[in-house]
Amino acid sequence: MKIYAILILGILTQATGNVFLSREMRHIASALQIADGNFPVLLFQTAENPTIWLGTALLIISFLLFITALSLADLSFVLPVVSIEVVVNVAFADYFLNEPVSQLRWIGTVLIFLGVILVGRSGKQTVRRREKEEIGDVKGR
Amino acid sequence: MKTAIMIAIIVLADSAGDVLLTRGMKQVGEVSTIKLRELVIIGRKVLSNGNFLTAIFFIVVTFFSFLTVLSWADLSFVFPATSLVYVMGTLGAKFILKETITLQRWVGILLVCLGVALISFP
Repeated sequence: MKIYAILILGILTQATGNVFLSREMRHIASALQIADGNFPVLLFQTAENPTIWLGTALLIISFLLFITALSLADLSFVLPVVSIEVVVNVAFADYFLNEPVSQLRWIGTVLIFLGVILVGRSGKQTVRRREKEEIGDVKGR
Repeated sequence: MKTAIMIAIIVLADSAGDVLLTRGMKQVGEVSTIKLRELVIIGRKVLSNGNFLTAIFFIVVTFFSFLTVLSWADLSFVFPATSLVYVMGTLGAKFILKETITLQRWVGILLVCLGVALISFP
């Protein structure tokens, strides 16, 4: 139960952080009328922007929640749960940032979600095999 | 094109960061306490771990590339596109680490590739 709470909180903070960052980077870039050459100016503006720091703080919190989850459970459990992140991010971008998300893009997003679940579920075997090899190494010594 | 290059940088740096972070945290071990003194000891172990520190470097590169691309591209495209990191991870496991990849995982990365192809349309 605890692990689900950690993961749901992690997913929500992650997507919220991305919304803040996306919105603010757009603001900064449009205010600067950014051209290809002034990348350093963009970075400088970014570093002193409070909303960017807020978004970054949210991403750090989600990162800490995920590594805590990974120390409690296998990646093969955590990754399929976290894979919903891609759907949450697109939904947040649609709702909070008013990005035009076409039907095709939604279908693509759901395919990615399903694909990552499959990748995540198949991880278990790899981990087990690696653990066996490590045990073998120890015995070998 | 500019967006595609940024996505490629993000995916490569993210994959490198993931591998190193996993290795580093495995060396440190399970975080099963909330006692401050023990957390400080674990924190010190983490901060002196070479794999962990190199992972942080790649994570920083990933983050700044992500911020930069967001200044002109849609989050609803950029974020799903970064899922290509799973494809990279699988190809790396197959061709660099010579791991056996299950059929289920091949189907998974095929779905991710199809998905990314679909989101690339406006």
